[in-house]
Amino acid sequence: MTDDVRDVAARAVRAAAGDDADALVLSERSGLARFASSEVHQPTLIENCVVTLRIVRDGKIGTASTNRLDDDALRLLAERAGAAADSAVPEENFPGLPQPEQLPEVDGFDEAVASAGADDQARYARAAIEASSVDAYGFFTSGVTEIAIASTTGLEAHQAMTDATTLVIAAGEGASGYATQTSWSADGIDPAAVGREAAEKAQRTRGAQQVEPAPYRAVLEPYAVADLISYFAFDAFGANGLLEGRSYLAGRIGETIVDEKVTIGDDALDQRNLPKRFDFEGVAKHRVPLIENGVARGVVWDRTSAARAGDGQRSTGHAPPPIYRYFGPYPFALAMDGGDVETPDELVELVGDGIYVTRLHYLGVVDPREGVITGMTRDGTFRIRDGKIAEPLVNLRFTVSVPQMLADVPGISREQQLVNVNDFYGERYPIAALMPAVATARFNITGVGSDPGI
Amino acid sequence: MRELCEEAVAAALGAGASYADARVVVRRSQVVGTRNQRVERLDDSETQGIGVRVLVNGAWGFACDRRLSAEGAGAAAQKACAFAKAAPGGHRRDLAPVEPGQGEFRTQVERDPFEVALPDKVELCLRAERALEHNDVQVTSASVRAQKEHKVFVSSEGAAIEQELVECGGGIDALASRNGVTQIRSYPSAHGGSSSQAGWEFVEGLGLEREAPRVGEQAAALLQAPPCPSQVTTVVIDAEQTALQVHESVGHPTELDRVYGTEAAYAGTSFLKPEDLGSLRYGSEHMNVTADSTTPGGLGSFGFDDEGVPADREPIVAAGMLSGFLTSRETAAKIGSGSGGSMRADNWNRMPLVRMTNLHLEPGVGSLEELIGGVDEGLYLETNKSWSIDDKRLNFQFGTQVAWEIKNGKLGGMLRDATYTGITPEFWGSLDGVAGREAWHMQGLTNCGKGQPGQSAHVSHGAAPCRFRNVQVGVKA
Repeated sequence: MTDDVRDVAARAVRAAAGDDADALVLSERSGLARFASSEVHQPTLIENCVVTLRIVRDGKIGTASTNRLDDDALRLLAERAGAAADSAVPEENFPGLPQPEQLPEVDGFDEAVASAGADDQARYARAAIEASSVDAYGFFTSGVTEIAIASTTGLEAHQAMTDATTLVIAAGEGASGYATQTSWSADGIDPAAVGREAAEKAQRTRGAQQVEPAPYRAVLEPYAVADLISYFAFDAFGANGLLEGRSYLAGRIGETIVDEKVTIGDDALDQRNLPKRFDFEGVAKHRVPLIENGVARGVVWDRTSAARAGDGQRSTGHAPPPIYRYFGPYPFALAMDGGDVETPDELVELVGDGIYVTRLHYLGVVDPREGVITGMTRDGTFRIRDGKIAEPLVNLRFTVSVPQMLADVPGISREQQLVNVNDFYGERYPIAALMPAVATARFNITGVGSDPGI
Repeated sequence: MRELCEEAVAAALGAGASYADARVVVRRSQVVGTRNQRVERLDDSETQGIGVRVLVNGAWGFACDRRLSAEGAGAAAQKACAFAKAAPGGHRRDLAPVEPGQGEFRTQVERDPFEVALPDKVELCLRAERALEHNDVQVTSASVRAQKEHKVFVSSEGAAIEQELVECGGGIDALASRNGVTQIRSYPSAHGGSSSQAGWEFVEGLGLEREAPRVGEQAAALLQAPPCPSQVTTVVIDAEQTALQVHESVGHPTELDRVYGTEAAYAGTSFLKPEDLGSLRYGSEHMNVTADSTTPGGLGSFGFDDEGVPADREPIVAAGMLSGFLTSRETAAKIGSGSGGSMRADNWNRMPLVRMTNLHLEPGVGSLEELIGGVDEGLYLETNKSWSIDDKRLNFQFGTQVAWEIKNGKLGGMLRDATYTGITPEFWGSLDGVAGREAWHMQGLTNCGKGQPGQSAHVSHGAAPCRFRNVQVGVKA
């Protein structure tokens, strides 16, 4: 990296001389080769390094950030953070700045990915495009992200992470298929396989038919499951929703809320995901059970929400980035356990008569308290008849209560797939969900949309 | 800043670019957010850097550097050219001709929002929150924001532009819950309130504290309200939800990059085709939509867009007929009409994309009361709660925070959990009334997502309450 993030964090803390303070430094070097009609049309290279300084004065907290890293700029940063703190009101339950602790060692960095440059990113994009037998739309991106935290309490945390994602929509008039793949290591990069999978799916979507809106049995591929569970998690699996009584899990901890086959957790230490050592306050990551064998077990916490909860609650290492601190802790490494179904075909057999869903589009949370989400299927929706995938379907609108959808689960695939859930807004922070394919007895279709394809 | 841009452009031309532009952006933002009388956010952030966009052998390349130095400008230019040279594809691009922009643009402000003391902003939020309080309201929240962006644009065609854009805004929310039912009310709109390209006078004019008691009471009252039934009926939609309806079902599908498929991998495409221009009936004769980057106070207002094209006002839908697209210089050249004017980048480290500027549904005649008076049985829907629309922008479903029954031309009881759904041209075809200028106002949104890597655009929409017939409401899970 161009900047030594640990040095920047230490200098920022020093600039806050006399105050309790912690500094978070997030640096990014990435490239994204975006393509459409099998041509790279928006290639973007980004290098940035942002330092966020939090100052605490008499229980009052102020935050400021900058991407100017010289000492003068850091002094001004401290002045702005101090002025912000002076303007606040004391936070009654503020637990103080984090203390140093032993942080877990994780993988998640591969020099081969970190060193990838524009030529490599263009080459990977070309491989995805050339493997698709129909026009390809999507991107290849790789990047290296470094995070460093230092504080006046003596905390020093550092991690360098890599991530690479290929995404392809293979599409033409009336046909489209989707595939994506994400990994922190070069071993997990195979853009040609992604291009082939998307194209194969697209070929089967021509001549899409309509179905009547109604509840259907369904198979959801890991792409769809990742999207749905991630949106459900916004409210359901964070501490703030629980504390404020507005989430699905509020008042339901310890109750059976879904099929006993369903186990969902957050595990940033799993090297099959995009591993993290600590959260955005430098607190060690812990594996958190959210739903175990159908029973609601808990949510993720940061230090602030844990202090508000009292009763000995501790942070699970899920403080969000500073700009989302108001939102509260969020599970950035969601995982649903695999089941005992060996192949996707077996899931289709279990469903018998229903709908096969590759991926979802534009989800919206209709009712967070009841876990109701709406959205569209896209790029590979099929009818299931007699235990086999049958004719392709147009894009369908669904409106489902996620707990209802998971209340009767005929089967879950043994294999899990890592699915990128990062749209790369703001500063890069690689996140993904490790999800299996799921068969459900109730997937509520509430409308029909257009044909697949461009 | 101008010299740095010129150095970057010169470096890009020296590295083989046939066209290059450079943008330096220096942005400062402040956000104050309070929740249940706690200060949850008090952020003061700044960011700066240079972004360089090049055309090499017909291929685009973009790179950026946070360092505002000759070294940073040169590095960004070199890297942009290298990426463009490596980019696979056939690559043939023309840009619609445009007179190289020269000039300055500054937001007109009465009171610079950064001159307002932070403690005053905190106190405003806390006061507004206190006014939201009600026995059944469990969570009160308030926020105000401000942003100042200074940017310089230089192109190899001779454009040299300097702009300073100032915006601010705010909003309040009350979340009520009892017996497992949770309901929210917001003002002036959901999802962070409303913003304007203006000084602090805009925030003061919102009257957050004044409106708060009504917002808190309505949130609590919703707990007692029955759910919205499932039926096909007439709906009158308030200006704020209409603004979002315009955004999602008119703004995005008329972005010409989506029509040509270059946004397919993320936000999606469009049900529109280039050949639909001038011939497609988008809605009823009451529907008139205008793209206007000159609107005072609009978040999408500027002197020049991020390709150096001057601000303009263009009809998009005229008396229900598709009459324009939102374009870049590239897409304008491709369709052979116009000269762009809708290219905007989120920041110095993002490539400009075709974005909405200010997209207005033009006012009709009469008042909200007159629209409601023309309904025997129906619903009045207020304030967005949820939204979703398909990749071609046809099938949509929105939820609103509150619905009011309409019976015999009068507002009746309150309903909760209201949703409505439809297909874009059919829905706009059922528009049979738009309220007049008196009921028309602008809503400023700061969360319009598009692009890979993702970009958030700030856009405004002027709208008045509208009446639609035969709409499906009350979608159930």
